[in-house]
Amino acid sequence: MFKNFIKTAIRNITSSKFYSLLNILGLSIGLIAFVFIFIYIRDELSYDKHHAKHERIHRLESQFTISNKADQWAIVPIPMAPALQLEYPEVESYVRFQNTGNTLYRHGEKEYYEEDFYYTDSTVFQVFTHHMLMGNPDKALTEPNAIVLTQSTAKKYFGGENPMGNIITNADNRQYKVTGVIEDLPGNTHLKYDGLISAMTLAAEHGEEEFNSMEPVRFWNIGVYSYVLLKENAGMQSIHDKFQGFYDKYMKSIGDQINASFTLMSSPLADTHFSGNLSSDRPTGNKTYVYIFSAVALFILLLAAINYMNMATARSLKRSKEVGIRKVSGAYRGQLIGQFLSESVILTVISFIIALGVVYLLMPDFNNLSGKEIPEAILTNPVLLIQLFLIAVIIGLVAGSYPAFYLSSFNPAKVLKGTTSGGRAGGRLRRVLVVFQFWVATMMVIGTLIVSNQLDYLQSKDLGFDKKNQVVLELQDSAFRAKQATLIDELKQSSYIENATNTTGVPGRTNWTQVVRVEKEGKMIDDLMVMCFVDYNFQDVYDLELAQGRYFDKSMGTDQQEAVIINETAAKMYGWHDEALGKKIHHGFGEDMDGGRILKVIGVVKDYHFKSLHNKMQPLMIALSEYPNYLVTAKVKDGKIPQALDYIETKWNSFGAKRPFDYRILEESLHEMYDGEQKIAVIFRVAAGISLIIALIGLLGLSSFVAEQKTKEIGIRKVVGASVQNVLQLLYKEFALLIVIGLTLAVPLAWWGMGSWLERNFIYHIDIHWLNFLIAGFVALIIGLLAISYHTIKAATGNMVDAIKYE
Amino acid sequence: MIHVKEISKVFRTDEVETTALDKISLEIKEGEFIAVMGPSGCGKSTLLNILGLLDNPSGGELHFVDKEVSRYSERQRAGLRKHNIGFIFQNFNLIDELTVFDNVALPLVYQGIGKAKRKKMVDEALRRVNMQHRSKHYPLQLSGGQQQRVAVARAVVSNPKLILADEPTGNLDSQHGEDVMNLLTELNQQGTTLVMVTHSESDASYAQRIVKLFDGAVVGENINQPKVA
Repeated sequence: MFKNFIKTAIRNITSSKFYSLLNILGLSIGLIAFVFIFIYIRDELSYDKHHAKHERIHRLESQFTISNKADQWAIVPIPMAPALQLEYPEVESYVRFQNTGNTLYRHGEKEYYEEDFYYTDSTVFQVFTHHMLMGNPDKALTEPNAIVLTQSTAKKYFGGENPMGNIITNADNRQYKVTGVIEDLPGNTHLKYDGLISAMTLAAEHGEEEFNSMEPVRFWNIGVYSYVLLKENAGMQSIHDKFQGFYDKYMKSIGDQINASFTLMSSPLADTHFSGNLSSDRPTGNKTYVYIFSAVALFILLLAAINYMNMATARSLKRSKEVGIRKVSGAYRGQLIGQFLSESVILTVISFIIALGVVYLLMPDFNNLSGKEIPEAILTNPVLLIQLFLIAVIIGLVAGSYPAFYLSSFNPAKVLKGTTSGGRAGGRLRRVLVVFQFWVATMMVIGTLIVSNQLDYLQSKDLGFDKKNQVVLELQDSAFRAKQATLIDELKQSSYIENATNTTGVPGRTNWTQVVRVEKEGKMIDDLMVMCFVDYNFQDVYDLELAQGRYFDKSMGTDQQEAVIINETAAKMYGWHDEALGKKIHHGFGEDMDGGRILKVIGVVKDYHFKSLHNKMQPLMIALSEYPNYLVTAKVKDGKIPQALDYIETKWNSFGAKRPFDYRILEESLHEMYDGEQKIAVIFRVAAGISLIIALIGLLGLSSFVAEQKTKEIGIRKVVGASVQNVLQLLYKEFALLIVIGLTLAVPLAWWGMGSWLERNFIYHIDIHWLNFLIAGFVALIIGLLAISYHTIKAATGNMVDAIKYE
Repeated sequence: MIHVKEISKVFRTDEVETTALDKISLEIKEGEFIAVMGPSGCGKSTLLNILGLLDNPSGGELHFVDKEVSRYSERQRAGLRKHNIGFIFQNFNLIDELTVFDNVALPLVYQGIGKAKRKKMVDEALRRVNMQHRSKHYPLQLSGGQQQRVAVARAVVSNPKLILADEPTGNLDSQHGEDVMNLLTELNQQGTTLVMVTHSESDASYAQRIVKLFDGAVVGENINQPKVA
């Protein structure tokens, strides 16, 4: 019987090629989108689960509250993890990671910048699971100046040489001996490293006592990524519950002095990828996007299944006779259901195989788009394949279920006499399904438009400073940095460069935040301010506007020591408003509140976006720097960037920089801050395209059946005097109405959904414009009408003599 | 009224060429009731389609009220048809999704007749076939005989000069068939020209003249003493 099902199914599939192709096309496209999203979500949810003990590993996080303002960080004070182990029996072990900063390393002729090298405790290989290719995991990081590299990093420096015992040297001529090589970390790792240097190195540099000190003051310096491994059956909650005692013992004395408090937070290792907006965190995933993509995947799959249902029931006219004959010949209803389900499952499985092939071919593009590193080989993972295959079969069953039950219910006597016209009920359902498809497709189009608009807005919004033609250099080694003033003078001499400035931060990368004391109602109170130390050229280079007062002036001798400029937000927050000039800010004081400088406000700069538009405006202070700073911005004349870069490179080399010439174009790095949104925009675009294509395929198939079903009606109408135009109007009107209902339903949900996306993710965002809905509706309507035109026009211009005989 | 001169109709498919009508000539006078008879496949329906301007002949001339129309375009034929000809079919050809009223009103809609006038005309047509009480029903809620009466109402609603009926009683039992024939005869007596294709000797006996077709050619004509309704 089963063999007969399959044989008949295949015969049916091959005998109506047009509809089978449409079905396979629709299902394949749906499954391609689904498989990609499935793999994406699976990867997102699998972060760090490859560590055997991941369920017992927790990352420590901090919340510092200063003057009632809380800041959350992905890092904790350096002695936190060892102190917790000391105090709490739940903690079995810990590992800390401290980034070495973007540093140049070399071996022989080969030199590379490394951003992902960390100082690490020797316990790293006991807590985390790494496959050690060379070296002894228990001893590799126990000595100072030992380094363990990942396989590809080792290969980069040493090529065919045996890395073990070999040396790499950093820009400050410190030498590290390779004591181990581990396998590269998989893509779904939150904290990625290419090299691990023993923490003992730091201990040797700073003195062991200093390094291991648990003095209260050491707890008030934000420090390092720290992970604790808990004992079996122990939980973090008990540590959080008892933490007050810990705080009192180690931190309270200083906290009380500076009017601050500290709360320990933590995330299970597998959740750190979704830990949200903590300062100093590695790039995290976004659970909202996981939900959005899951919904998109389900919708697309549903659209594809609906297409199948639509076409299958629409074909009932053709199939009803077959059902009648089979029933008359003795088929049970169950057998007919089996028959129809076999067909849908076979079609889905064929589509699934096609989809897998396409997914394999498109994997590099997908990785590129999603920022993932998923190997094509994942498609040979048997667990994944079985999961996907089962889902495909379920889709086949779902898609086939309605047609199967519907078609098999036909009364044989009626269908053989030809008095069942193929089901009015089926027609009603088909209309609902078309409405649903256009509802989804229109929402996707609206989403695409709004995401793109928001992205345009982010990238083109006036940020309050001049972002054009700015070249940013990093002066990494201190010898080079010391010569910054001369460098700037020489840059200014170039006919391609208008001006240059030396600062601690550039817009988009101004993060340095410190506790200061500000004058408020006659008292000095603590607050956090973002700071930027600059030179006399800063305002001119970035074309900043002043709301009050003046900019720093070389002729005013006191500016260097006493002057500060704040932004409008600060003036507002401290209640100074229009009378900010002359107000005092105390900054740079030590732990005992002594020292530092008391600065007077000489100007208020109009708010400019010194951070990405995800952040709301914060109070900012700008002061003249006492030291040479890390960043140089050269304001280049319009259209002269290539010439200016040649000039800067010559200067860079003549100053004896220890690193190869490197620079950033400010405008590009500002755009990179919105990479996440860019990806969402592309994904929305692709999903909208897919939904529209599926809806289009559905309409194409459906219109052919409707035209077929209406052949007789069209004939009758023409006989009694309808023109081709009359008939076209009639047919278009029917579909257009369904599409318009779909559009109408899409508007409120899309409005609400996109509205809350904007609200939740952006401090600065566009207002949703009704034009978006109009455009989306228009696009969907045009595409829908195009899809039905072929069969509709054919039917309207067909021969009515044949039509009226149609039975 | 209609002058058919040596009309032929040839159907071609990829492999076969079939001559459905072979140089037929025929004269239909205004007010006549003609029955066309013959075995299946003799070309009766093809002739009716050509007379009804649903189809063009392959050769010969067709004069419809003094106009030579055999080379008319579809558009021209449609224009002529909707004002002059009503159709009645064996399978009724009502639109299932429309009510009785709307089915009957269809020709008027396409003639662009206003709503109020349309209602009057439809009511009058339904009254003539005694179906006004069913005007809100759908075709599938009616018996075959009732459906055919609705079809007749649709055919007469715009007062056409000519009504063409293709086996109007073929799907009906004898009682309902007789009803419909009486209705047609009545229309004819009121002045409508009637051409009816039929298999049934009994139906044909209502006509004034019987034209016999065989293999696409006229093989005999009888003047009939029609049954009186």
